[in-house]
Amino acid sequence: MSDLEAYRARAATWLESMVPAFGKAARKGLSEADDLALARRYQAAKFEAGYAGINWPVEYGGQGLGHLEKVTFDSEEMKHGFPNAYFGISLGMPVPILMQFGEDKAFVKERVLKALRGEEIWCQLFSEPAGGSDLAGLRTKAEPDGNGWKINGQKVWTSWAQYSDYGVIVVRTDPNVPKHKGLTYFWVDMKAPGVTVRPIRLAGGDSHVNEVFFDDVKVDDDHRMSPVGGGFAVAMATLMIERYVATDSGGFGPHLDLFVELAKATLINGKPAIADGRIRQQIARNYAMRNGLNSITARAMAMMQAGMVPGPEGSLNKLVSVRSRQKLSELAIDLQGNDGFAFDDHASQKEDWTSSWINAPTGRIAGGADEMLLNTIAEKILGLPQDHRPDKGVPFNQIPA
Amino acid sequence: MSILYDEGQQAIATESRRVLEARMNKDELLPLLEMTGRYHEGFWNTAKEQGWTALALPEEYGGLALGLVELGLIAHQAGRTLSGAPFLTSGFGCAKAIELYGSDEQKTRWLPGLASGEIVGVVAFASGSDPLPIYPAIRFADGRISGRATGVTGGLVADIAVVYAMGSLGPVLVVAELSDVERSAIGGFDNSRCYAHLGFTDIPAQPLAIDGAAREAALHILSLQAVITAHEQTGGAEAMMEIARDYALTRRAFGQVIGAFQSVKHRIAELYGLVELARANCIHAASREDNDDFIVAAAAARLSATEAYDTAARDCIQIHGGIGVTWEIGLHLHMRRARSLAIEQGNGLFWEDILVDRLTGEAA
Repeated sequence: MSDLEAYRARAATWLESMVPAFGKAARKGLSEADDLALARRYQAAKFEAGYAGINWPVEYGGQGLGHLEKVTFDSEEMKHGFPNAYFGISLGMPVPILMQFGEDKAFVKERVLKALRGEEIWCQLFSEPAGGSDLAGLRTKAEPDGNGWKINGQKVWTSWAQYSDYGVIVVRTDPNVPKHKGLTYFWVDMKAPGVTVRPIRLAGGDSHVNEVFFDDVKVDDDHRMSPVGGGFAVAMATLMIERYVATDSGGFGPHLDLFVELAKATLINGKPAIADGRIRQQIARNYAMRNGLNSITARAMAMMQAGMVPGPEGSLNKLVSVRSRQKLSELAIDLQGNDGFAFDDHASQKEDWTSSWINAPTGRIAGGADEMLLNTIAEKILGLPQDHRPDKGVPFNQIPA
Repeated sequence: MSILYDEGQQAIATESRRVLEARMNKDELLPLLEMTGRYHEGFWNTAKEQGWTALALPEEYGGLALGLVELGLIAHQAGRTLSGAPFLTSGFGCAKAIELYGSDEQKTRWLPGLASGEIVGVVAFASGSDPLPIYPAIRFADGRISGRATGVTGGLVADIAVVYAMGSLGPVLVVAELSDVERSAIGGFDNSRCYAHLGFTDIPAQPLAIDGAAREAALHILSLQAVITAHEQTGGAEAMMEIARDYALTRRAFGQVIGAFQSVKHRIAELYGLVELARANCIHAASREDNDDFIVAAAAARLSATEAYDTAARDCIQIHGGIGVTWEIGLHLHMRRARSLAIEQGNGLFWEDILVDRLTGEAA
């Protein structure tokens, strides 16, 4: 057994032992507040067991291991439905970027430890009503104010802002230059006066994203994490941190086995659905697609293990898997006929076709809309030209609204 | 577990690409579309001279003892440049059947010639629209076969065939010389594939696999061939994607290159996705030859490669506009090949069924 496989085996054993206290069954029926409290205890247990900050430096409380161990642990952890989503963004991007760009080392160290133990949560304040895919089109502004800055504006789609203690934010500090050049990057205290968080209810009924309003929110200049006007580069660095994350060829929806089981248990006009060519074709094609993505991921892991940089085809994962999951979920509901009307808004989207279906549009938009991913493939991998951008090189305050 | 190509394998890919790009061109392939019984001799001579015919066969019979991974890499390059003859895959299937299920005497008799390429081998499993029928239409009795094999790839010029036939106790695999067989050419849309119906009338044949296991044996051979063909399809799809991309970067309309329009660039980005999924499935399948999940892996490779090649051929022509549908530009060579390869070694519907049978535990 390779070292990595031994690591996987140890992680799997530990995770198995956590199931009674923190698994799906333990979470069933909990209010979100209770679930969050459970999640904090789970995160603390991970920290104690050495499974928090797996690939982070030891000096910050991490384990000092590699990316492979991190991805290996994550893919094992994914199997159990533990309450880790509350920390996904926090530990995924804002806290690593704080380690990288935070100036006050003692402060950074304290924050990182608390975040790793699940005591504090960070959010990422990027998207705005006027700019999601077009991040650099954001309008929230920071103006000089004494020795510091004063922030005014609105962010949106901010995951877990309602539970966050801190956040990282990109704001406009100079509207007189082209859009990418007038941005600056700060961290903010989410409990500071003038910060208002308002949860947004999504189509599926849950509210993990928020609107966040900033009204004369004062921040000291030592909150600044980029040069003035140099915020876009740090924002890009934030989005690049987790390039190779644990993926799911099922698009974070149900496993194909569940579809096969459903088809076996269902009749179409008195005949078994599993013998129906339309159903069989979808099973076969979805299998081929998922098997292809799994093979891409396995190769990427093997390349990382060999000290090589994985190929760009890993960027296909979310694009291909989530939209396929969306269509397969539609078919699964169709297959159930009138039994398909039911909806339990607490059901897991990894186990329930209706939950998978109703939440699928979020998956195709969050973290890069399909169209942006296609643009990235076309431009960065295939060398096709960028779209026509009428705002290119134009000072931000002269771009027609 | 998938594999990474080692240095030797990468060298095979590079060298075969260099050779084929230097020797193959569409101007020699276009006229073959209008003739039956002709293939691109330059391609087949290259395959023999380079040792590709011997690549995946055992050393004791003149082979190079490499495997599906290496032959797949050659097939990928052959797909990129449009292989000029079908015998690399058909001969491989024929030889593997003899290697895996034949007697020592049969191996000694046939394998060296198949490895050198002096003997052109094919497989004849299909009956009508069924790539691998439960009850084969050809009869085997008293060491002779009679009946008709449908649409045999390479059948017009082959020297020997492994035939799926019905014996007294059930299906059998037999090997037969084709010198006295009645061959009727199929005038088709991709004539260098040398498709023919083969009419057997009391033709001497020697049994290979034992009774009862013949259909599984034939399916295994078909799966081995399907993995090679999937590589060839992926190569063709990759070429179509690149040609589409290159054209989109040079052709101008409405004041910019057409690749700047999202309707065009997204179409090409989607092709990239299909090609990479097919490639990943091919690499995986080639590494699973001796495992229980081989047929599932082969089916997945086959399905995704067929989708990739059909779609890439279709969209590449569409992106070219009017020039794309001309005879001269030759994009239709790929469109034709995408469909002929989609049918050889079992059509898509066949493989979908084989795959789902295995996923649902319905397979015999």
